[in-house]
Amino acid sequence: MNQNIRMALVGNPNAGKTTLFNTLTGARQHVGNYPGITVDYKEGDFTHKNQGNIQEDNQRITLTDLPGTYSLTAYSVEEVVTREYLVNAKPQVVINIVDASNLERNLYLSTQFLELGCPLIIALNMVDVAKDRGIEIKVEKLAELLGVPVAPIIARSGQGASALIDQAIMLAEKPWQPRDISYGEDLDAAIMELITIISENNFLTHTYPARFTAIKYLEHDDQILQKGQEDDSATAARLEEKVTQVSDHLLKTMDAYPEAIIADHRYGFIKSILRQGVQTHTFDTDRLYTSDKIDKVLTNRLLGPAIMLLVLFGLYQFTFTASELPVAWLESLFGLIGDQAKSLLPDGPVKSMIVSGVINGMGGVLGFVPLIMFMFLGIAVLEDSGYLARVAFMMDRIFRIFGLHGSSVMPFIVSGGIAGGCAVPGVMATRTLRSPKERMATLLTVPFMNCGAKVPVIALLIGAFFSDHKAIYMFLFTMLSWMVALLAAKLLRTTVLRGPATPFVMELPPYRFPTLRGLAIHTWERTWQYIKKAGTVILGISILLWAMMTYPGLPAAKMAGFEQQRRAAISPFASEIVSESQSEKEEVSESARTLRRQLAAINDQESEQALRSSIAGRIGIALEPVSRLAGFDWRTNIALVGGLAAKEVIISTLGTAYSMGKVEADASDSLGQRLTRDPNWNKVVAVSALIFIMFYAPCFVTVVCIAREAGHWGWALFSISFNTTFAFLLAAAVYQIGRLLG
Amino acid sequence: MTFKTLHQKCACLADKVKNCVRQPYCPKQIAPLSDSCRSGRIKICKVTGDRKLCARMASLGVYPGEEVELICPENGSQCLLKLQGATLSLDSNTTKNILVTKA
Repeated sequence: MNQNIRMALVGNPNAGKTTLFNTLTGARQHVGNYPGITVDYKEGDFTHKNQGNIQEDNQRITLTDLPGTYSLTAYSVEEVVTREYLVNAKPQVVINIVDASNLERNLYLSTQFLELGCPLIIALNMVDVAKDRGIEIKVEKLAELLGVPVAPIIARSGQGASALIDQAIMLAEKPWQPRDISYGEDLDAAIMELITIISENNFLTHTYPARFTAIKYLEHDDQILQKGQEDDSATAARLEEKVTQVSDHLLKTMDAYPEAIIADHRYGFIKSILRQGVQTHTFDTDRLYTSDKIDKVLTNRLLGPAIMLLVLFGLYQFTFTASELPVAWLESLFGLIGDQAKSLLPDGPVKSMIVSGVINGMGGVLGFVPLIMFMFLGIAVLEDSGYLARVAFMMDRIFRIFGLHGSSVMPFIVSGGIAGGCAVPGVMATRTLRSPKERMATLLTVPFMNCGAKVPVIALLIGAFFSDHKAIYMFLFTMLSWMVALLAAKLLRTTVLRGPATPFVMELPPYRFPTLRGLAIHTWERTWQYIKKAGTVILGISILLWAMMTYPGLPAAKMAGFEQQRRAAISPFASEIVSESQSEKEEVSESARTLRRQLAAINDQESEQALRSSIAGRIGIALEPVSRLAGFDWRTNIALVGGLAAKEVIISTLGTAYSMGKVEADASDSLGQRLTRDPNWNKVVAVSALIFIMFYAPCFVTVVCIAREAGHWGWALFSISFNTTFAFLLAAAVYQIGRLLG
Repeated sequence: MTFKTLHQKCACLADKVKNCVRQPYCPKQIAPLSDSCRSGRIKICKVTGDRKLCARMASLGVYPGEEVELICPENGSQCLLKLQGATLSLDSNTTKNILVTKA
């Protein structure tokens, strides 16, 4: 086998780089029909059977997929990542993927690779789409005029990929050779002067070709200017002075900056090539394609938002309808596993931990897997078809008012914008946002949405205290979550995250039919991430919560006291009545029923005392002086503290804390009735609790995700403290005002 | 009320409705893209404003002399342009710096 060859894949966004990367390396990188999917580079290895040679030979290749860019000037992170990789890693071959149906714009980037001098091969992708659009490209002629090999391919099917690599291997030994493009008399003269200064002082020549540096100085490339200052400030000052003179002269004489003239000449160079018979159009070039016609309807100012609401509602309906049965199956499965564990394991703390901590805790999270999976499938369809980019386009108008970006809409929806999502994938979805401040504002406010775990709690409290107008209250609380999230975003964007709005300049991908393989990969990858992350963390938290609510347990003297009470309760009854009351039969005699009630009351008292003396109970009691301001007693505090781990825990903890024993989320009536009877609960407390639960600190998994996505634990801690303070102030205000109004 | 008065009132109401719904007439002159109110072909005359914006637009294919199709005119925030086979979404901060005329 020959020595390993390093190749890099470059090109415009959505040109098909990641698709070709996956085809060649067999990787499963995420390819979305949404710009900006690749913001970092990824590497993959593969062995290529070289068929160009008479003697067959296997060639090992390391391929790097670089972010999509429109130019090599540092306007965005992607451009910096791509350029720095090329000049520092110096790959032996650069494969430039060019969209054949959009040749002129794509070749703009190619001209800059020619100027950089890297060994270049052009992969002319989507030749099938170009053909359908009546665009005919003479490949040999294009290769001859550009002076680089050109290989037609269809990245989606892999057609032509092998021939492309055959040709690329032949370039591997070629040295880096920059090419000159003329920028007109004025600029060419200025470039020559700059090159002289650069060459005399060996200014950045170890990284960039002299002409490339000169052009980047004329283009006022911030990153190169800064590098120049750091490398040799005296030469940098000379170059900057010269460039200022040229810029002033061009502004006076041509009313244009050098970069505009450079761009004009680059397009002139491309046009001169294409007009030499390289590209011919069979159809009228002005014609609108199906994709444009669909856009005229789907982005219409009146029809567009209406269709968008319908599509999003459809996604919500699909997710909940399709996942209903699998969720029920999983619930039964975990119930069955729990019953088996109960009957097989001997009584004791291990059994209690496995049943209450592991099975119930894991079951609560894994039971959501089908719902999460169908939601991701729906989102993958929207994303791969290209509709998601249009949703961002339409929502930008509203989100901009609150200092957010059009691309913030999907994280909001995924997090529970249409009640029932999950903040974990929502937080991860913020990756599509470019501006760090807009991304941070989105990241910190998406947990305000009503996720699937909050919905049962909201339903329980509304059902218990506002049973006459359930639907209206549910709708109002959903609207409230949106309002609060957007207002909180506005607050953040005008205080700690102040900064200008990012221009929403985005290339909308054409509508495409999503492939089954692509949908399956995307759905499974994201679902697996959820299972892996949520599953492992929740397992730990469940065990921890179980321990906190179980230990240190009741002192022996108190336990003996309860045992004595039980014996005293049993003593007046005959042994037959006692054994009847302990049987599992539902229909029992009146005496047995009375004994059951008495024993249950003692057990409830014992559980309450045990809970009070547990670590969680002590925390709840310690928090009571403050939480009373919002109307919460110590038992509610335990549930709320439990909710910090996972919101799913709130209902079951409330049940335990109110000595209800095991309470299922669905069987909310009994807990609801208990709460309505409790002197500590009333309508005002219910509203206050609802507000606090909706807006306080995100669950632990979300916090971990925020820390990971923000790259700093400080933001995660900020999210916990900001949300909790905000929620508490709001809840306390509601409670106090409500109490005053009676 | 005479038939004539009724007719006049109805016509007046119809005009008011039409004025609310229909888009104003765009004269054939150089104006910012943000003022373009009808779909159709337009020609880019100049890209003004920040030099970074000019260069960024050029790299996206929006440069003087280029003819593009306005698919969705701006309605407060964004507009959609079709150029050389690609669809670009531009916000108002960008479109007010792009001077265009009818092609």
